[in-house]
Amino acid sequence: MKDSVWLYPKLLWTFARNSLIRDMTFRSNFLIEAFSSLVWMVMNLGFYLLVFLKIEESQAAGATADIAGWEKPEFLVFIATTMIVNSVMQAFFMPNAQELSELVRTGGLDFALLKPIDTQFLVSLRKSSWSSLSNFFVALLLIAYAVPHLPAPPSLASWLLYPLYLLCGVLIMYSIMISLAATSIWLGRNQTLYDFWFYITNFSRYPMEIYQGNVLGDGLRLGFTYVLPILVVINVPARVLAKPFTPEYAGLAIFALVATALALVGSRWVFQKALASYRSASS
Amino acid sequence: MAIIQIRGLRKSYRVYQKQEGLLASFRGLFHREYREVEAVRGIDLDVEQGEFVAFLGPNGAGKTTTLKLLSGVISPTAGEATVMGFTPWQRANEYRRRFALVMGQKNQLWWDLPAAESFRLHQQIYRLPPDEYDRTTAELTDLLSVGKLLNQPVRELSLGERMKMELIAALLHRPEVLFLDEPTIGLDVVAQHKIQQFLKHYQETRGTTVLLTSHYMKDIAALCRRVVIIANGRLMYDGSLAGIVDRFSGHKVLTLQFADDAMPTDLARFGEPLDVQPPKARIKVERERIADVLSSVLSGYQVADVSVEDPPLEEVIAEMFATAEDVSDSQELAAVST
Amino acid sequence: MSSTTTNPTGFSSAWIIFRTCVEERLVYRGDFALGTLMRFLPIITQIFLWTAVYTAAGGSINGYTRNDVIAYYLLTMLGRAFSSMPGLASGIAGQIRSGEIKKFLIQPIDLLHYLLLARVAHKLVYYAVAAGPFALVFWLCGDYFPPWPDGPTWVAFLLSLLMGFVLGFFLEATLGMIGFWFLEVSSLLFFYMLANFFFSGHMFPLEFLTNSVPPWFASLLWFQPLQFLAYFPSAVYLGKITGPELWQGLALQAAWVVFFYTTARVAMHRGYNRYSGFGG
Repeated sequence: MKDSVWLYPKLLWTFARNSLIRDMTFRSNFLIEAFSSLVWMVMNLGFYLLVFLKIEESQAAGATADIAGWEKPEFLVFIATTMIVNSVMQAFFMPNAQELSELVRTGGLDFALLKPIDTQFLVSLRKSSWSSLSNFFVALLLIAYAVPHLPAPPSLASWLLYPLYLLCGVLIMYSIMISLAATSIWLGRNQTLYDFWFYITNFSRYPMEIYQGNVLGDGLRLGFTYVLPILVVINVPARVLAKPFTPEYAGLAIFALVATALALVGSRWVFQKALASYRSASS
Repeated sequence: MAIIQIRGLRKSYRVYQKQEGLLASFRGLFHREYREVEAVRGIDLDVEQGEFVAFLGPNGAGKTTTLKLLSGVISPTAGEATVMGFTPWQRANEYRRRFALVMGQKNQLWWDLPAAESFRLHQQIYRLPPDEYDRTTAELTDLLSVGKLLNQPVRELSLGERMKMELIAALLHRPEVLFLDEPTIGLDVVAQHKIQQFLKHYQETRGTTVLLTSHYMKDIAALCRRVVIIANGRLMYDGSLAGIVDRFSGHKVLTLQFADDAMPTDLARFGEPLDVQPPKARIKVERERIADVLSSVLSGYQVADVSVEDPPLEEVIAEMFATAEDVSDSQELAAVST
Repeated sequence: MSSTTTNPTGFSSAWIIFRTCVEERLVYRGDFALGTLMRFLPIITQIFLWTAVYTAAGGSINGYTRNDVIAYYLLTMLGRAFSSMPGLASGIAGQIRSGEIKKFLIQPIDLLHYLLLARVAHKLVYYAVAAGPFALVFWLCGDYFPPWPDGPTWVAFLLSLLMGFVLGFFLEATLGMIGFWFLEVSSLLFFYMLANFFFSGHMFPLEFLTNSVPPWFASLLWFQPLQFLAYFPSAVYLGKITGPELWQGLALQAAWVVFFYTTARVAMHRGYNRYSGFGG
């Protein structure tokens, strides 16, 4: 059907538009939220700047400080990448995932099931929280500041691949989040879901090089790269932009694409299973 | 062929049995007991195109579960049902575009946005052509006289206004089958009446097939010629509203106004005295005795006024539900003992 | 008051409240087991992160070795297990907004008394479930800890943990009472959470900051109440605060407890008056 090609993009636009209208009716709330997530980010950034300051203080003058091979400008790109992925998650997917278990509890999911469109699409993207995007713009500023200070300036290919791998990262995160949210249909509450999400993705917010030196470190690195690919989410795009390309790294970049595809398929499966259980379990 | 066909529909689900007490709560951490609840225990029903059918029954009788099964929100444990030839729980998009479910206790409109925005979203979801959408919206808002409220956030609307908006949202895609679950719950009498009027008019002009559950006998009396009574997940009655009294009540209520001090003291010999406030008395009398009782009262005492009425419908139904529970309990016992 | 079992006494009603709260907590068993385990996951990342940092920085930063920092993080978790009050302030504000608070105006229960009991119940259940995981993690991470501290340090440590609980409770209760004056306190609470995260020393030992900021900010860090929720007990255990500083610190913590106890009470009574004045 001709119109069905445009149905989902059009719906997406309407969802986003409706959310923006709602956000704008609570303007002071919007500003406070945007501001507080900014404060949060500044605190995080401040933490790493303090750590770099402490390393510099203890080193001989003139030496370059680094954490696991990431020098300060490179690390700033890494933090900016984290901010971008997180802000996109918080703006578009988090509100919906959190609402899913609420929908289950109140029976609002019934209405979603009645609509003649894909249920996963509807419940994943219905609401967005635009205020969370404030960090996105701060991250862009941070990149603009950090890139000129990089030891090796990014190539054209890096600039082209960076958005692609950001998208992959977001999709992997989305897959994990929607799978967790779907399990809340079984569990019935979502606080655990939120905690789990936070604590698991916490691993992804650091350069993968820090996970080494012993069995646990190697295990975490390999497990979170190849089993639950959350280390790929930030590390691949950040490295694409911040560090020169090496052949050893190309393998990981290709793997990231495969992981994204698998994650999407897997989460779709989990979601369908959870829906089936909802439909046979509720009254 | 009937537009809705239900054959042997059953639905049971497990609920967690919470135990009383502190120790039991601790035990609940590791081991949980579940109870099987049978919400629908085998229902057969045919509904023809254009019928307006009421589902009547006590809370937890299985009415809402049946509507949810028919709208495909949940799938049954056993049995079959087709609506317009579709099996609801396969949730085909073609099916979902052709019916609507309205639940009086839940809302599907965006809380913080004007209803118009939710309507526009529905236009896209149901892929309605703009001109048709504009026409339907204008017509419905006009019928329910809510045109002025379209651009007000839903949270600022009264319960009645919100219900009207819910109805419009559900009817935008001109569903051929409409499921209404307690559409007037919590509304004041005026708002209830308006919604009834609207539903009646809409159904008559459109010929939509409607299934309605309600606690308000007035809704049902105003709207439905056919009533289906469900209790304990079973179908108890299927017929006209008036037929319920004939079928389930063997009594009439006799109201007597005696002349001063003429009231006899032994009213019980005529029937069961319901309410005695001399000189007035209400007596429940078996239907076949009513002629005898009337003649002996009128000939023996000075009576100022007399009337014979059917017992109130609510009472008949309440009585029936009470006996239905006893029956199903004894049936279950019988099933266990055999 | 009679002390027979049939007559409800202050103690027995307290016991009923306490027991009901414990039961309520236990209903959500899934949250419980998972939540407790997951809380330790970030420690793993911290170990690796600080190992990488100390590889670059060498032996010690402001008196903290790598092992000290990791032990510090574990101890702040213990501190927060006492002092954090999830849902307390927002719960009070929510009750004010929804009008549920009326029941404390009508029934002969003291709001703060009730909430404190509920909180003790929640905490005890939490400790019952969390003791295992805590013991396991502390045992696994035993090598990061310095040798056992001496008796007086232990006493000071435990004292500051317990006062941390009371301080955390009355501080959050006070914040919740603000709901009597402003209906929407969620953004305020979010800022408090951010400030708490930073000033309680949850992100890093406060010494790291003291040595790199202007003196006025350093003394602010030393006097502010939030440090007692995580930083202070941990630093005491690690022997970073000794001698007169230790006793001054404990005295300051006690002073803050008294301050917030009084503030919460006064705010509650003022709030009640305001609430009944407006007719609910």
